[in-house]
Amino acid sequence: MIHLINISKTFEPNTVALKNINLHIEPGEFVSIVGQSGSGKTTIARLLISEIKPDSSEGKIIVGGWDITNIKSRQVPSLRRQIGVVFQDFKLLPKKTVFENVAFALEVSGATKSRINSIVPQVLKIVDLGDKLDRYPQEMSGGEKQRVAIARALIHRPKILLADEPTGNLDAINSKEIIDLLLKINEFGTTVVLVSHDKDVVNGLKKRVVTIENGEVSQDQKVGKYVI
Amino acid sequence: MILITAKRSIIFAIQSFWRNIWLSLATIFIIALTFLSINFLVVINAISDSAIAAVKDKIDVSVYFKQDVRETKIAEVKSHIETLLQVEKITYISPDENLRVFTERRKDDTVIQEVLQELSGNPLGATLIVKAKNLNDYSEILKAIDNPAYSDLIEKKGYDDHHSAIDNINTITNNVKRGAWIVTFMFIIIAILIVFNTVRIAIFTHQQEIGIMKLVGASNSFIRSPFILENIFSGVIACGIAISVIYFILSLIQPHLNNFFAGVNVDLVGYFNANFIAIFGSQLVGIILLNIISSSLALGKYLKV
Repeated sequence: MIHLINISKTFEPNTVALKNINLHIEPGEFVSIVGQSGSGKTTIARLLISEIKPDSSEGKIIVGGWDITNIKSRQVPSLRRQIGVVFQDFKLLPKKTVFENVAFALEVSGATKSRINSIVPQVLKIVDLGDKLDRYPQEMSGGEKQRVAIARALIHRPKILLADEPTGNLDAINSKEIIDLLLKINEFGTTVVLVSHDKDVVNGLKKRVVTIENGEVSQDQKVGKYVI
Repeated sequence: MILITAKRSIIFAIQSFWRNIWLSLATIFIIALTFLSINFLVVINAISDSAIAAVKDKIDVSVYFKQDVRETKIAEVKSHIETLLQVEKITYISPDENLRVFTERRKDDTVIQEVLQELSGNPLGATLIVKAKNLNDYSEILKAIDNPAYSDLIEKKGYDDHHSAIDNINTITNNVKRGAWIVTFMFIIIAILIVFNTVRIAIFTHQQEIGIMKLVGASNSFIRSPFILENIFSGVIACGIAISVIYFILSLIQPHLNNFFAGVNVDLVGYFNANFIAIFGSQLVGIILLNIISSSLALGKYLKV
């Protein structure tokens, strides 16, 4: 499903974020990418959605069979509609309601109004926000905002869900709810890539853990723990 | 698909306009001020053009014929002058008409009235009043009148009195126009900078939103079009406000202008009515183009996510 082959990334002037990363994630897997701040785990997430490009080397990034190593800028929107992404800071549009925030991801792909009106309430119901369609983000708790972000990430029924520190701004109870939601999504067959530095969250999952240290994969365990 | 996207761009633009109403109002205010500044110059130009045209209209060459010159000879001179391309109009004034006007004008001058009564006949000859198409054409007309064949017929020419006035008006006209162009050019540059930066600030406040739109898979054109449309709305509304304010101010100052320029017809409302499309259409198109260019340039920076 996801293949990073010999991927390196250096930020100007000479900060090496990733060094010859090799990572293969199979369809339907739930993988946690862990590491300390600055280890390079978020750089991997940014490479997967083509927010940044890898160093020009012999490396390759393949997502869902699509070689995105040298993806053209006009193809990026299409890639981002195929990968659901959830961020620590939710990244909701503050001037749009919950419904509009989720609908926006469909609107950008040219979906009809009737399709939007049928799908958006269903997805919001899945994340238990079916009764808060007209709320604005500033009227919601952190956990609710993250659930809106997850609903938006799921709206295109992506094969991959990338969650970059989704519990970073949440308390323990809300974190548990979000992780349970991600597990539920994974059970339905979606590949979930969780980028986190939260030991409790990762250790409670009992899923594959890839540890990044100084820009390199230091451990890759089938049922792993965050041990750094 | 294209229709759906276009419709959504319009809806997003309207939503963004209302949900950021203070920013929208600030943008409209700045653009309306720019419109007003430019149209202030249009008013100045219109007034100076009217004033200069009125003075120019009073300039002509009067050819005074001797008393004993027969009408057939005068008609011959008239025909000759009429052949000149520079001539716009020739008016013939008969000796009787000249006498009537002269008597009327000097009716309070008892000496003149007495002299006129003592004279048995009309002491005045006929006159031809020649009006040129352009101020610069008078020299050609004078050359034609100075034909030696007519020197015995002509008592005097009235152009010399206006010669310096014509030169002065030509100089003033050219200087006013040159000055107006310089000021207009400066205003246009200032207007471009103001509008450009206003649009940049408006987009800067939306930078987080633009980043999020990109991350959920919006294409650059899908993000760009509502911003451009929103700025076009602002331009159109600002133009409407500026037109209302301008017509209101014109209706207030028009009566005072007529008093101030006594004898000169300075009809600003009529001028704006007659040139409505040219004045406001060109300004609106300019503002829209400026908005499109400013929005595209300002957005480009944030669309690289």
